[in-house]
Amino acid sequence: MTLQARYADVPVETKQRLFDEVKADLRFRDTLYGCYECGICVAACPSARFYDFSPRKIAQAAAREDLGIFYEQLNDDIWNCSQCFSCLRCPRGNNPGGLITIMREVAINNGLASARQALEGYGRVVYKIMSTGTQVSPDMLQPNAFPDWGPHVAEISENLLLWRRALPPETLHTTSTAWEVTDRTLTELYLIWHMTGVMDMIKEVDAGLHMILVDVMEELLEDAGYAAD
Amino acid sequence: MPETVLIVGGGPAGLEAARAVADLGGRVVLVERREVLGGTPDEANYAALTPHLGSAQEALDRLRAGVGRPEVEVLLGSTVTACRGSVGDFTVTVSGPDGAGREVGAGAVVVATGFTHFDPGRETQMYGYYEFPDVITLPDAEKMLKEHRFVRPSTGEPPRSVAFIQCVGSRDRRIGNEYCSKVCCGVASKEAIEIRRLLPDCKVYIFYIDMRMYGYWENQIYWPAQEQYNVNYIRGIVTEIVGKGDRLLMKGEDTTMGRPLEVLMDVIVLSVGMEPSRGTREIAGILGLEQNRYGFIAAPGEPMDPISTSVPGIYVAGAAAGPRDLEDTMGTAGAAAARALGVIRSARPAAATAGA
Repeated sequence: MTLQARYADVPVETKQRLFDEVKADLRFRDTLYGCYECGICVAACPSARFYDFSPRKIAQAAAREDLGIFYEQLNDDIWNCSQCFSCLRCPRGNNPGGLITIMREVAINNGLASARQALEGYGRVVYKIMSTGTQVSPDMLQPNAFPDWGPHVAEISENLLLWRRALPPETLHTTSTAWEVTDRTLTELYLIWHMTGVMDMIKEVDAGLHMILVDVMEELLEDAGYAAD
Repeated sequence: MPETVLIVGGGPAGLEAARAVADLGGRVVLVERREVLGGTPDEANYAALTPHLGSAQEALDRLRAGVGRPEVEVLLGSTVTACRGSVGDFTVTVSGPDGAGREVGAGAVVVATGFTHFDPGRETQMYGYYEFPDVITLPDAEKMLKEHRFVRPSTGEPPRSVAFIQCVGSRDRRIGNEYCSKVCCGVASKEAIEIRRLLPDCKVYIFYIDMRMYGYWENQIYWPAQEQYNVNYIRGIVTEIVGKGDRLLMKGEDTTMGRPLEVLMDVIVLSVGMEPSRGTREIAGILGLEQNRYGFIAAPGEPMDPISTSVPGIYVAGAAAGPRDLEDTMGTAGAAAARALGVIRSARPAAATAGA
């Protein structure tokens, strides 16, 4: 459609197939109606302030079924979204963030190189959540545990208790509260990740990580009577 | 000639004004240049009306039926050639089909001479309208849609891609028409919906500067066109159209995407705007009515009085006064009828007093 299209060498059939996959998603019709290009989603978008990123253009390209721009966005733009859903204030009822959720899943499921690259930095986080069922909690932030996180970790760890008391809501997210995950919950989580295709997604973007996770999950799943794969 | 209103023009505005005068107890002489009533919607083959896609012909038939009564005398194939007198006592010369003149006495006059579609080849050969058979106008498209078909005029085959270009002949200082023609956004969107219904595999684009979908047209036409019929709205004026093979290469900028754009189309529809009709320009001179800089009949009392012209006792209805949709046309027609009869009735007691 437009002149300065990137990925001109990718066959249009590939772009069409990926677009059709996005459009076939059950959530699609609730994320996109029509766009009159007002820009309210861009104005509300935190990512748009820091990157060359526009949720409006994501919605526009999908509404127009512009395969060239869609494919560019699928590779180069969707990972700039922070999935905060500030864009939900759209007066037409669109949900560009939700559209991006679908696009990300399609990018991962199809093993797009850009998706692998975008997720490379998150291997440790993914490993932590998927193997233990829980995340790093703020009171774990000690300089010796995170030497690569820079000098701020020391400052944070020294003042953490005071700072957390200054937060308006009560938070349970500490090592001593609501942090440990029981074996039964963990088994259920492992099953969910296997049965809903999350493990397949991980396999597409990071085969090594997938292998380690399968290994970690094996024992609990077998104890519960399930084959690890 | 008591309570006679002379109405010039037998389109929607003239027909509605005539019906309203008769309903209010007055008499009408309705002068129409063509041999049939119905005006531009009839002459230009309007098929489905914006926004509800109701039948234009049925609507015109209802309007025609409204003047089929003894209080309304219809003079077809006739034009007004002269006028003398003043409010309450005009004498209007009407030239009939045989060329014979006839004098009609009227207490007031309603001008309903309407608009004409902008001719995209008139001065600038815009977009190659007279060069490429597949470059057509809204009324050209309407004519095909009236026959429930939409094809490439060059081949007779259904198109795979169709683009509408908005604001052709409107909002253009170079052409001299700075005004918005008001209806083209709605009409183009309506035709786009009809094309998508007829040809589900055909991509339809609308290139616009601003979409102006007043009031309920937003939800009746614009949103459904986008959401149900996947009509693509792209903001940007098309710069030029060149022939490429047997298709049309259209160049412009996709301004909201921030990219230059070159795309092949099978049919390009020019959304031509409104200009004063020949009848509107001529009647202004004959009746001595002030015109605005675009040639439409001036209504100096706007916005509170969009009916009165610069001459007392002469009123304007419909698109003779400028771009108007059918709702405005019907509204001003009824208002003009009431004002015309009102001025005659208020003038009579004064005349009687003066005579006594």
